[in-house]
Amino acid sequence: MDSPIYYAKSEFIETDTGNKVSRRATIAGPQNIILGGKTIISSGAIIRGDLRRTGPGHAVVISLGRYCLVGEGCIMRPPYKTYRGNFNYYPMKIGDHVHIGAGTVVEAATIGNHVEIGKNCVIGKFTIIKDCAKIADNTIIPPNTVIPALALFSGSPGHFVEDLPESTQEMVEGHTKQYYMRFQPG
Amino acid sequence: MPPIRDKFTIHSKAIVCQDVELKGDITIGAGTIVHPKVTIFAIAGPIVIGSGCIIEEAAIIVNRRKEVMRIGDENLFEIGCRVECPSIGDYNTISTRARVHHTVRISSFCVIGAGCLVVPIEDEVLEDQTVVYGPSAERRIWSGNGKIQELDLRRKHAEYLKEMLPKFNRLRRGEGA
Repeated sequence: MDSPIYYAKSEFIETDTGNKVSRRATIAGPQNIILGGKTIISSGAIIRGDLRRTGPGHAVVISLGRYCLVGEGCIMRPPYKTYRGNFNYYPMKIGDHVHIGAGTVVEAATIGNHVEIGKNCVIGKFTIIKDCAKIADNTIIPPNTVIPALALFSGSPGHFVEDLPESTQEMVEGHTKQYYMRFQPG
Repeated sequence: MPPIRDKFTIHSKAIVCQDVELKGDITIGAGTIVHPKVTIFAIAGPIVIGSGCIIEEAAIIVNRRKEVMRIGDENLFEIGCRVECPSIGDYNTISTRARVHHTVRISSFCVIGAGCLVVPIEDEVLEDQTVVYGPSAERRIWSGNGKIQELDLRRKHAEYLKEMLPKFNRLRRGEGA
């Protein structure tokens, strides 16, 4: 196993389900955010759970699966549009084993399982990313893009580069689990 | 350099979140919305922001010049953009992570695309409906198609935020209010 990544114990809050959330992250509207467990939210991240869909009752704005990583300085906010003349924000759903690199801005509608997103990317509004896709560093994905499964995207605007091997799922799963194991208080 | 004197004039109908970094002489007009984690620095001259603007999180607005930096009405500054222009007209969009230097003046109905760098060496004025796009910051003129829809969306967006932001965020008020 690789060497552990140590963090200051006082900086992170650990929940019962093993989520580790930095105290230096800005989380608005936490009652509208669901973390699946064993998810890490790094310092400087901004997560906007306050931009919720109007209407009565409880609304989930952002849901993250298990073994996710939100990198340093990442901004996650739900996408908005007008539909039949009404303005609204729409929920963002992120699957399991998703790593998002530092400084990336995410306004996607759906991100599947086992997705890797690089550093300093911009993921446009209502983007749909399917399972096991990969986005290279510094990529700009325009709004409403659909990224197919097992595809590598890069560039500005982001475009298809190559197919990823079928072993991607196991590779990413192993990588994300190992990252969580390595991330220890020091 | 003389020390920067803070003077914030925030209109009673503007929504400015508490978690915002302001420095210098700043005026914010009616109905303008400033999300949390925004930075507005009036280092040399004052900054005057018009009405109905939306400034999203991690945006940076800086005035390094002596004269007043004027920002018009109903502009949208998206996440993480950095703007130093001495003047901005009305109804412009500065997209996510775009950077505009202090040598550029922006007219009205302009769009600066996501991640674009607009850093000319000499002073320049972007004329009305200019669109800057792509990694090498190419330019073209927008036909004006869908202008009404765009403005309608922006107005509804501002209206929505005016209602929702105060429910989840602490607000900042102007002096004396």
